Amino acid sequence: MIARGTALGLACSILVGSAGAAQGPVGPNLGPYDIRLFPTAAAPAVTGSARLVFADSPFGVAVTADGHARYDVRVTAAGLPAPTSLGPYTTYVAWAVSTDLAHWVRLGPVANGMSTVGPVDLDKFLVVVSPESSLVAAHAGPTVLHGTSPSGWLQSFLTHPLFRGIPD
Amino acid sequence: MFRRFAPIAFLAATSVAGAQDPGATVADLAPKTGGSEKVHALGHIVTHPGAWKAADIELEQDPGRPYVYVCGFVNFDTQIYDISNPAAPKKIFDWTIEHPELHRGIGAMDGKYFKIGSKYYYAQSFQFMQGSPDQDLGAVIFDVTGLPDPSKVKVVARIYYPSAPGGFHNTFAYKHSDGRVLYFATVNQSKAIIYDLAKVVGGADSSTWKIGEVANPTPFKQIGAGGYHDFYVGYDPTTHQDKFYGAGLGGFSVWDVTKPEAPKQMFTITGLGQDIAHTFTPSPDGRFAVTETEYQYTPLRIWDLTDAQAGKVQNLDTPIAAWTADWHDLSHNHEVRWPYVFVSAYEDGLQIFDLKDPKHPKTDGHFYTCNCEHEHGFGGTPDNGWQSTTSVEQGAFGIDVRNYDGLIVISDMRSGLWILKMDGFNSWNGKDYGQPNISSVQDYDHGPAKAPISLAPIDADHAGR
Repeated sequence: MIARGTALGLACSILVGSAGAAQGPVGPNLGPYDIRLFPTAAAPAVTGSARLVFADSPFGVAVTADGHARYDVRVTAAGLPAPTSLGPYTTYVAWAVSTDLAHWVRLGPVANGMSTVGPVDLDKFLVVVSPESSLVAAHAGPTVLHGTSPSGWLQSFLTHPLFRGIPD
Repeated sequence: MFRRFAPIAFLAATSVAGAQDPGATVADLAPKTGGSEKVHALGHIVTHPGAWKAADIELEQDPGRPYVYVCGFVNFDTQIYDISNPAAPKKIFDWTIEHPELHRGIGAMDGKYFKIGSKYYYAQSFQFMQGSPDQDLGAVIFDVTGLPDPSKVKVVARIYYPSAPGGFHNTFAYKHSDGRVLYFATVNQSKAIIYDLAKVVGGADSSTWKIGEVANPTPFKQIGAGGYHDFYVGYDPTTHQDKFYGAGLGGFSVWDVTKPEAPKQMFTITGLGQDIAHTFTPSPDGRFAVTETEYQYTPLRIWDLTDAQAGKVQNLDTPIAAWTADWHDLSHNHEVRWPYVFVSAYEDGLQIFDLKDPKHPKTDGHFYTCNCEHEHGFGGTPDNGWQSTTSVEQGAFGIDVRNYDGLIVISDMRSGLWILKMDGFNSWNGKDYGQPNISSVQDYDHGPAKAPISLAPIDADHAGR
């Protein structure tokens, strides 16, 4: 089977679709600050999306002292069942997760509708929503929504077809 | 996914294979079931609950280790079965990538076992998409020496290739004539990567694991890509060379990898219909080869490599024969146990043909494992369940053959693990057929068979081609 093109194709369809997000962050309408959230088998009927907005700052953009962009995450969700229906949980929590899955940063509580949580100052990260036993507990619940930050789609130029064959 | 090449492919196929009457009405294709008289299913396990069950498969070869490894494909897992009783395969180990629900991609694709000293290992390749965790993960290496006790199976290393995210699609573990155990891997670049597995499992600095690269000399420039898809590595006891037979976008190529740090290109196979080169397996002596190109309606092609191996020509473009199970479909991977070719033929399940007369391949048997709707194969994205309404990429994906008893295993994308047998094929040793005892099966204790075999002409008719 030859399937590498599938992955590249999906990445390209998202990267080139940055014309705007007026119709919601789906397919070609996905904007550069939008994150498509995917459901999981734990709660397959859940739908959601997220948008990165600059965290509070006296300036036009928010950055940390060492220059990393600081974003709040505006999560829009629908169909979240009662957390108790998924186990010993009381609330939904949004997490920013490093791409190696080693670091889980609690962003705040999420419910059906719009919830703004954060901030997050990772360069590339995943957004994960899970039911948890409390707002301060360590991550333990099953993932019900997840997505990748727009920066997560950036890739090395060496993987671009135009640069194939250049020694790394 | 490569249907746009179908017209050219069909012309190429018919020119060499004498395919069916193009004027005949094509009937709707019902799911195929059952098998031929000589081929029997001994056991079957539905490995996963979802629509997609498995990618490739690997079968250990030592009589005391009755283990088969099933690559879980989009389930992102590796399963190990004890098949000491082929009628009742027993799952003894299952490992899934951490947080599978956060990963996106085609997942666990290819697996190879290998042995270093007294220890057995298994390398599971992975492919995750850009934006997914582990997009730079190529393979996870397990120490499986302690099987059948699953508590003794440990992850001992992970191979990452961050300069070209997308993981390893295919791999080949090779006991080199210099004694090293090498791991050849496809990457998302115009080359294959060679790792020294003793360094990988031995805890050496990961910057030392990679020892070589094999460039793809036939990049498919029309689509701006040129990576390898698959390969076979084998020893040539006549020339005392380790040879790499690569299939990639653009065509096929053969390299001398006797010194894997500095491979030398030998010859290529290119031409009409060869661009989507997928698999390339030579006969044990390197005189003939079977190739697969990955698009619907294409046959497997048979090549006479004699002149190219001798350095008389640098490129071949005309096969001597072709074989297909059903021209509507596509045959996928294959294992050569000369003169037999065992094929995991997607919708056509297990197919076996022989090259006793290489110019006239003869089908010996089959067993349908897919029982699936024609052209409803793998495609699309995770968001539509990887479901296509045009693809024939479904069914028998991977195949392996156990040399000491002739057992055949199939991994079927739709139906899981199959264990099969062909009457009369009870073992394979190349010497029984006047060939070097060389196949994809490695002799990790002794290395490749280095004694040349005195070969008589197999078919005088083809000698002048």
